[in-house]
Amino acid sequence: MKTPDSLRPGEQFFALLLVIFAGYAFWESYGISKFSGLTTGGIMPMLASGVMVVTALVTLSETLRKPGTGRGSIRDVIAYLFPARVVLFTVLVVVYVAVIPSVGFLPASGCLLFVSIWALWRRGPVWSLAISLLSIGVIYLLFRVVFSVVLPSGSLWQ
Amino acid sequence: MIETLGYFATSWIDPYLLMLTALGTFAGIYIGAIPGLSVTMAASILISFTFKWDVNEALALIAGVYVGGVYGGARTAILLNIPGAPSAIATAIDGYPLAQKGLAGEAIGLSTVMSVMGGLIGVFALAIAAPLIAEFAIKFTSREYMLLGIIGILLVGTLSGESFAKGAFAGALGVMIGMIGLDPMTAETRFTYGSINLMGGVPFVVAMIGFFGVAEALSQLEHISTPPIKQKVARIIPAWSDVRRYLGLGLKSSMLGTAIGALPGTGGDIAALLAYDQAKRSTKNPEVPFGEGAKEGLIAPETANNAAVGGAFVPMLTLGIPGDAVTAIIIGALYIHGLKPGPLLLTDTPHLFWFIVGNLTLANIFLLVFGLTGIRIFTKVVECPRAILIPLIVILSAVGAYAIQNNPAHITWVLAFGVIGYFLKRYGFQVGPIILGVILGPMIDSNYRRAMIGAQENVWTFLYDLISHPISFVLSGALFFMLITQLPFVKRHRRRPRP
Repeated sequence: MKTPDSLRPGEQFFALLLVIFAGYAFWESYGISKFSGLTTGGIMPMLASGVMVVTALVTLSETLRKPGTGRGSIRDVIAYLFPARVVLFTVLVVVYVAVIPSVGFLPASGCLLFVSIWALWRRGPVWSLAISLLSIGVIYLLFRVVFSVVLPSGSLWQ
Repeated sequence: MIETLGYFATSWIDPYLLMLTALGTFAGIYIGAIPGLSVTMAASILISFTFKWDVNEALALIAGVYVGGVYGGARTAILLNIPGAPSAIATAIDGYPLAQKGLAGEAIGLSTVMSVMGGLIGVFALAIAAPLIAEFAIKFTSREYMLLGIIGILLVGTLSGESFAKGAFAGALGVMIGMIGLDPMTAETRFTYGSINLMGGVPFVVAMIGFFGVAEALSQLEHISTPPIKQKVARIIPAWSDVRRYLGLGLKSSMLGTAIGALPGTGGDIAALLAYDQAKRSTKNPEVPFGEGAKEGLIAPETANNAAVGGAFVPMLTLGIPGDAVTAIIIGALYIHGLKPGPLLLTDTPHLFWFIVGNLTLANIFLLVFGLTGIRIFTKVVECPRAILIPLIVILSAVGAYAIQNNPAHITWVLAFGVIGYFLKRYGFQVGPIILGVILGPMIDSNYRRAMIGAQENVWTFLYDLISHPISFVLSGALFFMLITQLPFVKRHRRRPRP
């Protein structure tokens, strides 16, 4: 296993967040059936979250031992975690997921494909549109016709 | 003998059955390869429209899809680092680095030949050793299944990533995700927060698509401007010297895969992981280190997961216990056709047993043909600009997630898992153990509780049982060894140069 020599931006903070999350998961697991027995529904979640707490603490200690300040400026952390392309594409996908129930799967997918290919590939709208339509056609044939998968139709058209 | 041979060759000489087997294998390869489509899903859909068919025709198609699908997962694992199926998780560890070096064609060719070898050995074992293997598998109790599940998750944690702690964290997180929903034993709600959608739990396919498909798509956005690597697909048929060199490893992995596949509830995923681990430990001086494109790391899991197909049929046909999810569906198909898998199947309907053996053999031959052809078209996928590929992966992920239960909430979950996976990957966490945790968590949970009930809820009796029964003792020893070798002072000692 390879361990990077230096810290990534925000790595110590992320490790701390994991410790807090693991602690919360343990607390939630405890809440399922407390310590009322060794075969209750809460025992395996408690064991798993217990492992998470221990390993998150080990990970935190590993990051604390790594050379480098580890803090990094907020700008470094943002640049590392949230590059513009990732943010833009994630927003597009969130909108896509949000509009599927109303617009339907095929139109929403077509729009996502067209907008993201146009924005990311930059070959012009005609190419983007052609590829989007072709892809949607293949997806429709494969899933709807061959596998008889019912695709969300969208409430707007009903 | 002549009669048996006749049953065996039924699908070889009947043109319609021959065509169905070929069609099933061909479709299976692409079903296994397309992220979001799973063999289990395809098999369950196939049953919905083949139940009116003749049993041989239905079995020919489904068995073809099964054989092709287990292999097909490797293609996307190698080309896109997205395992098409859980059984291809280990394949991605070394397969993807090979593709990054432009050796995708060679990697796929080698994995095809070795998969066929594993598949044929698995079928051979099914034909020859079925009663013996089934007899051994039935000795496994809930204790052993629990240990096997924990070993499976930890293996992935130790195999890849930066540290064992991160691997174990990811595995435990996966187990937690697998616990969401109603507890099957007590009907207590676990992490549902009042949501009806969460009551039924998180299907592992949803987690798999999110953590592998969407997270990978988001991670690849960073490299969108990097020109795609041209894959060398000139030599698809692997060199004879390569096949001969890895024959021993292939044989070992096949035998391991068959044995693991024969254990009910396990399957190609655990077989592939154990074979990868075994190859990593036993290969002294690999040409390329494991994790960076070692051919041994590609061959071992690919041989083992296809060998597990034959193995999975052993408990199904002899005991009526499914070896994995697909054989569970095939059991359903047999029941639909008025057949009862179990010890009497071999004596009452030997024609069916030998038909399945012959059909699986035929499917493996078709696998060799289809596996070694059409790779050029397939590798074009990886040469496709990422700006096209990434949105397509997200859309395939969305439709794959929706198709499982026609539940729109699953599309949202896929996105959420994708974002979580993206952050974890940025900080060196592997997503493989999470998926294994989701899949194996419920199995570990139910078997732990059965074992603990068997020990009358006494911790000391439970621990004593773990070391006092031979199979448990071996598995506990393996688990202990795995944990001990990850301790910092042991690792330092192992790294110390010997005089």
